[in-house]
Amino acid sequence: MSTLRRVLITGSTRGIGQATAERMAQDGDEIILHGRRADEVEVAVAALGGRASAVSGVSGDLGDRAAVARIADEAGEVDVLINGAGIYREMAVGAIDEAGWRETIAVNLTAPWLLTRSLLPGLRRRGGVVINVASDAGLIGFAGGSVYCASKGGLIGLTKALAVELAPAVRAIAICPGPVETDMMRQAVSEAADPEAARRQWNEYTHLRRVAQPHEIAAIIAFAASEAAGFATGAVWLIDGGVTAGRKV
Amino acid sequence: MKFDFSGRMALVTGGGRGLGLAIVQALREAGARVAINDRTSAMVADAILRLGGGEGLKPAPADLAAIGGPEHAVAQALDAFGGLDMLVNNAAVNIENPIEATDDALWDLHLDVVLRAPLFTIKAALPALARAEGAVVNIASELALHAIPNNVAYVAAKHGLVAMTRALAIELAPERVRINALCPGTMDTELMRECAEASGDAAGYYRAFAAYHPLGRIATPQEIAGFVLCLLSPAAAFMTGSAIAIDGGSTAGRRWEG
Repeated sequence: MSTLRRVLITGSTRGIGQATAERMAQDGDEIILHGRRADEVEVAVAALGGRASAVSGVSGDLGDRAAVARIADEAGEVDVLINGAGIYREMAVGAIDEAGWRETIAVNLTAPWLLTRSLLPGLRRRGGVVINVASDAGLIGFAGGSVYCASKGGLIGLTKALAVELAPAVRAIAICPGPVETDMMRQAVSEAADPEAARRQWNEYTHLRRVAQPHEIAAIIAFAASEAAGFATGAVWLIDGGVTAGRKV
Repeated sequence: MKFDFSGRMALVTGGGRGLGLAIVQALREAGARVAINDRTSAMVADAILRLGGGEGLKPAPADLAAIGGPEHAVAQALDAFGGLDMLVNNAAVNIENPIEATDDALWDLHLDVVLRAPLFTIKAALPALARAEGAVVNIASELALHAIPNNVAYVAAKHGLVAMTRALAIELAPERVRINALCPGTMDTELMRECAEASGDAAGYYRAFAAYHPLGRIATPQEIAGFVLCLLSPAAAFMTGSAIAIDGGSTAGRRWEG
């Protein structure tokens, strides 16, 4: 291993982001964790710190532009930016209001853009990589998901635009997970009228008849950020258990 | 292809010039009544004058980037017609800039006009569209399917528009409202001419864009407008959630000029 790579992962106190942090720390990278709440970041840093040589944390609401600017500032120069934070709010089109629109677009699309722009000088200097965690929802539509789909489709577009404009200095890749067993999903399942049925429905939704574990997504993100994936840029990688490949009648 | 939209009512955003104006004209020729939206009353009045006026054209000026703007455009169309069968979200901004020069205001403007406005026009028009089992066409772009440099906000917003079109198509299918996205390549519009003039070498500018498309030319707004009518018509009754490229082959692949 040459010099330590500095990796900022947003939304890394839980779920896919946390699994990615663990994976890349194991691989020997310096990790900068991020979460909305400072206390949760502290806990995550302590948990990861015992197993990794260099871990620090930044906190703040990615829906708040001043906070995004501060996060970029505190993170400093990085080799790898992983935009892992995202929110999902189900909203029928008739019920979408201005605030609902702004919140999802701000966190899922505008924050990755602002962080990339802020960190760009360092990314250029270091020959860096931007990994955007999009979703199968950026490629296929879901009822009640118009704003979420717009944000994730936009994130895929952002990734391609970064790739063509920043090449050859900086690579950009969009990762599109399908359903993943995160806290967010576990909560939705436990709150369902029939949790067992909800769990079954999620499993049957994919052709592989199960949902992904966060570490399975983390492994692909780590690979995308690595030298081994050095010829991949502007790519949109699906890890969705076959969801977008087609349907059974 | 001939379409008959007699007795039907449409709203076209950004209908004051360019592709929007061509869509308005084509819809009028097919017998529809059309509400024209553009940014200012003067732009809309000018478009109505250029099209010869008449009862079938109604003004619906509104700034779609403003909060309440999309709803205001739809309200004017509903006031004029008492209903709405067709909505064409055509209005856009496209201001090229390198990444470092794309400031917050420019990013927001693209997201607001290209992505937010179509969502809120559809929301406002939904009761009328559902009654009519109507159709929506969102004008995306070939840049909703792939990217070019120096246009990051536009590319992101247009990709988002296609994804949103798919989600809304699934959501509104039970109400029999169809929603499709059309992804045109470069067109010979007023905007294109302005950009060509501004480049200092108008002929070279046109040549470069013609060469960019495998068919060796850019499109006329009229041929794109014809496709919009097809998507709005019963000919496309089984189409919803599609994103159709009409781009002279530019997203299909590359020719190796060795």
